[in-house]
Amino acid sequence: MRKDARQKVMLAMVMAGITMVLAGCANLPATTMYTYGDHATRILDLLMVVFWMAVAVFVVVQGALVYTVVRFRNKQETTALPKQIHGNTKIEIAWTIAPAIVVLIIAVLTFRTQAANSVMPPEAIKIRSIAHQWWFEFQYFNQDGVSLSTPIVVDEQNQPTITTATDLYVPVGVPITIQLDAADVMHNFWIPKIAGKTYMIPGKSNYLTFTVQEPGIYKAFCAEFCGEAHAQMHFRLIALPQAEYDSWKVNVAKIPASAAGTVQVLGLTGDAARGAALFADAKKQCASCHVIAGTDAKGKIGPNLTYLGSRTALGGAILPYSVDNLAKWLQDSSAIKQGNLMGRVIKKGTLTDQEVADLTAYLDSMKLSVALPAEK
Amino acid sequence: MAIAEQKLTSTAPTTSESFQWRSWLATVDHKKIGIIYIISAFVFFIIGGIEAMLMRVQLGTPNNTFLSADLYNQLFTMHATTMVFLVVMPMNVGIGNYVVPLMIGARDMAFPRLNAFSVWLFLGGGFLLYLSFLTGGATNVGWFAYAPLTQTQFSPGQGVDYWILGLGLTGVASIAGALNFIVTVLNMRAPGMTINRMPLFVWMNLVVSFILIFAFPTFTVASIQLLFDRQFGAAFFNPALGGDAVLWQHLFWFFGHPEVYILILPVMGMISEVLPVYSRKPIFGYSFVAFSGVGIGFLGFIVWAHHMFGTGMGPLANGFFAAASMVIAIPTGVKIFNWIATMWGGDVRLTTAMLYAIGFISMFIIGGISGITLASPPIDLQQTDSYYVVAHFHYVLFGGSILGLFAGAFYWFPKMTGRMLNEMLGKVQFWLMLISMNVTFFPMHFLGTEGMPRRIYTYESGMGWEMWNFIETIGTFFLAFSVLLFIYNVLVSLRSGEVASNDPWDAATLEWVVPSPPPSYNFLHIPQVTSRRPLWDAKYPHSTADDHHGEKSAPSQIRYEYSHEDSPGAKEIHMPTLTYMPMVLSSGLTVAALGFIYINQAILGLPMRVASYVFIAIGFVMVFYAIRGWVLDSRRDSPYLGHH
Repeated sequence: MRKDARQKVMLAMVMAGITMVLAGCANLPATTMYTYGDHATRILDLLMVVFWMAVAVFVVVQGALVYTVVRFRNKQETTALPKQIHGNTKIEIAWTIAPAIVVLIIAVLTFRTQAANSVMPPEAIKIRSIAHQWWFEFQYFNQDGVSLSTPIVVDEQNQPTITTATDLYVPVGVPITIQLDAADVMHNFWIPKIAGKTYMIPGKSNYLTFTVQEPGIYKAFCAEFCGEAHAQMHFRLIALPQAEYDSWKVNVAKIPASAAGTVQVLGLTGDAARGAALFADAKKQCASCHVIAGTDAKGKIGPNLTYLGSRTALGGAILPYSVDNLAKWLQDSSAIKQGNLMGRVIKKGTLTDQEVADLTAYLDSMKLSVALPAEK
Repeated sequence: MAIAEQKLTSTAPTTSESFQWRSWLATVDHKKIGIIYIISAFVFFIIGGIEAMLMRVQLGTPNNTFLSADLYNQLFTMHATTMVFLVVMPMNVGIGNYVVPLMIGARDMAFPRLNAFSVWLFLGGGFLLYLSFLTGGATNVGWFAYAPLTQTQFSPGQGVDYWILGLGLTGVASIAGALNFIVTVLNMRAPGMTINRMPLFVWMNLVVSFILIFAFPTFTVASIQLLFDRQFGAAFFNPALGGDAVLWQHLFWFFGHPEVYILILPVMGMISEVLPVYSRKPIFGYSFVAFSGVGIGFLGFIVWAHHMFGTGMGPLANGFFAAASMVIAIPTGVKIFNWIATMWGGDVRLTTAMLYAIGFISMFIIGGISGITLASPPIDLQQTDSYYVVAHFHYVLFGGSILGLFAGAFYWFPKMTGRMLNEMLGKVQFWLMLISMNVTFFPMHFLGTEGMPRRIYTYESGMGWEMWNFIETIGTFFLAFSVLLFIYNVLVSLRSGEVASNDPWDAATLEWVVPSPPPSYNFLHIPQVTSRRPLWDAKYPHSTADDHHGEKSAPSQIRYEYSHEDSPGAKEIHMPTLTYMPMVLSSGLTVAALGFIYINQAILGLPMRVASYVFIAIGFVMVFYAIRGWVLDSRRDSPYLGHH
């Protein structure tokens, strides 16, 4: 009977252990254990070596602790005093050297990985990312005028050819260097399956170089606490085969065709042309914060909305893109993302449902045809 | 054991002049001050724990709306601030305050009034920090307060100012306390207690006090610079005006990393007392344990930038800080091996205190190993700011500091109260706490490697984080229950626990010579120390023959003291008088600090400004009154009995 119970407990523990291992190894959306970028892969390779060394150390030291306690615990009240040993210098030296050797090995491996991950190849494509409270902006430049070792200076001569947000498009198989900047507070650029984190610091440019090994859409986050909506500051890395990336780059730089068409949303028919007029209406304030290429909307506070209809996500990559989600965002963005700056101006009820539908139709009408890869 | 005899001892006031509350508010007795620290820190531990549970409830399920984003941000900031500054630090200081003078055979700290000043100022700082919840919201920028989020344009309320000034007060209290410890340990040891014979808990308190006086001023200065940024438009940390945001991180972590050792080293000292007593052996490798603590203290100052590997310092700087951080593994490993060797060959008695000490080692091994992975910059770049880091430091601070403090609590509770804690309840609590802390914190390793960032108040479903988060939340409830069991144990044991003799654990150090609880003057006769284990050697005169240091000590003459306050010898003992002045001085500084918070809040208008000047004025009047009274009170010092 007791043996049965013990077996059941053992079985439960084994099952729990297997669950833990499986959960640790599953290819989850943001895991660092399945990597598709060289930067993250080199880190994972290093981690696995260190992990097994850590397991060995854990087993030896924890084992010694448990063995000592079990072996020398007082089983019955004895009166004999144990031998009063004060120490042993040889043993002390031995166990000073042992951890020193372990950390020396880890240090050497660390420096090798660090060196490999610090290289910025001159042929790398350079893209600038600017973090804002609470969204990511991406700027692409004419690569001829861009040097890797100095910050990109945006002035009248050197304007970005493409400015976008939330979706970061890159080609696979070639090194990419991201210049990381911040517009307001500190942020942190993290694509778990592709590369480790790098801070985005106002007043200081940082650089991160990686190569994406497989086409895919990858989850990415701001990893440094940056204020009220930090939890909802995400972006997506969209890695395309070179040819598709090239055609995306050409198409996205074009001015969107004039707004036309309708969508059905909120039980209403939204009209793109009416939406375009609303967007341009100074009273609605859209244009004071947002840019749409080819229109008078030149506000720099919020994300550039050109080709919003082709984004895969909204609101700092917290909602998947759909006309319904876009309408919800326009109705009451604060309910979706507490603290977001647009919600302080465009509150619930600021726009009528018809206006929301029209704006949705307009923004949705700006679309590119991109063959999106699968989410990794 | 003469328990009946020992019962005669009482710390109750002996003159009509002092009744109960006065004896606490005006006390300069290191033991009472220690108890005020301990009780306050425990209350803050409950508060910080409630904050943690609220956060865990919010994170238990994805897309939860139990807490708002802003409230969550306040809670995680205050949880960390509370646990670091208002729980572990004062708990260490409290136990140190109580035990260190007894261990070194002294009658009090070197500066008893300064000691009282420290405890009241610490409470003033804690009061200001928590007042901010009622005055428009506590600080919500994280306990690390990275610039420039702390600037007024991003954090317009007063929460950050309350935080700066609240921690400013606790900082002054800590520095005063550290100086007091240093002078006490260096000057007040009983005759014969050389540095080389000090108990390891005293050693660690000495090391930590030095760390404190070098580390804390950096933080105090940086936070005052931040206050100037916020109140007067200075631009130290504001890049928009030419300041440097990364400078704050350097200054903060130059304090912040040594702070980690301020939190853990005294607890390592406690473990080094507890393990030998319940193994009935001396500590193995006394000098190695002591000097590895000194080594950790030194190294702690050259590793701060391992908190900043992602800030773009470059591979060379990252490499240096990585190597220095990894070196800390060596003295830490030495300590762990010596603790295990202390038990090896011993007569190990698994009391509750011993279980906690063993639990400390076991959990600290896990926290130490995950620390090594974080010391490697490439690995750190994946794990930093993820839940992996949260797992790491909870293993060090909960598995380490808190379990170690419980070991200390069960070990010294009889000395402080004269009653034993219930061992059975204690053991149940230990196993419950050990298991539930692992249920709560171990899955955080998985969540971190699965990409869950820190400091997020919500997460979407479908990330694969749901199961572990839910399990962690369940774990916190069991953890809370284990703390409730401890409270119950304390309350019951205080009333009806077994009465403690002078030396219930058959221990080795001097605090067990005197009655439990000790009289206000501690020792009727200052003991003459001839070895590292003065009491043990008196009890077991033949056991030290193989002292490998070749210290041929004279037989110890130490005897248990069963004196009570009316004994003729006690009348001759000179003790400082009761005085309210340290408390008035601390209160004055607290009131003035409250005024400074509102000194330049243009947005609040003229009345608030006038009110702030009034507060500052009242505060400084109190300060000057207290300083005057302090000086006059000192002159009234006289033999012990007339003025207690």
